Amino acid sequence: MDKITGRPNHIEDALATIHDNQWFTWTDSKNKIYANLKLTEKVGVDGNIVDNPITELPTETAVNTKLKELQDAWDAANS
Amino acid sequence: MALTRLGPNQSINLASNVTGALPVANGGTALTSGFSNGITEADMYRVTTSFTGDAEPIASNWERVDTNNFSKIGTGWSESSGIFSAPSTGIYHIKFGSTFYINGDNLWNNVRIATTTDNSSYDISADGFDGSKSAGDTTYCNAVTECIFDVENVSTHKVRFHTRVYNNSSTTSASSTDNECYVTFVRLGDT
Repeated sequence: MDKITGRPNHIEDALATIHDNQWFTWTDSKNKIYANLKLTEKVGVDGNIVDNPITELPTETAVNTKLKELQDAWDAANS
Repeated sequence: MALTRLGPNQSINLASNVTGALPVANGGTALTSGFSNGITEADMYRVTTSFTGDAEPIASNWERVDTNNFSKIGTGWSESSGIFSAPSTGIYHIKFGSTFYINGDNLWNNVRIATTTDNSSYDISADGFDGSKSAGDTTYCNAVTECIFDVENVSTHKVRFHTRVYNNSSTTSASSTDNECYVTFVRLGDT
């Protein structure tokens, strides 16, 4: 996300809105591209570290569609 | 020989009248050089990946800060599944802060430091809150909290970190290039 304007500009912005908590991670956090996206093994819930309830990654198309949706909403609100 | 103050308005010229280190037994420190070993442990970790909602605790995506000329002092803390272990016994200052953002109202965001002394049962040692009122666009806030924790045993005394949000759409802002959701550990002294 552009920190100055708040406009979503990265797939991480979309991923963070698809599910709550730390359900995804990157194989290379310095190169956050879809090919490096993976599910986390564990998440923290109510003081306990449990298995990630999310078991399937969204498709790249679904992620890009979600990002476009967020951008369109931002653009409409700021036009 | 011990130095004695002679009267309320008299002073002693240490520069000209004393050589070497003044022994501890005579009220000195016995130091012959500077305080070269001041801080022996200082470290920072951060969360690399943003997420929405609560994480109690933050169980993944931690990395030791590795950009912008960061350098730890000493061995540094270790982390596994969001549980942090100290490199050695001692009294540590622990600081936890996070940026949050949301497009909408959010009564509060909460950062918490949880500590255990038995490697099992955690207590909340520190709570920090901040909140934001919608300005019609994305708004940010930053919650910070800190504590001093006496690590008497590195096998049993552990720390972990929580973020909670009032509005589940609030995002904990994280990055692998700068410190947005981060922790700092500084060893203050012996246990």
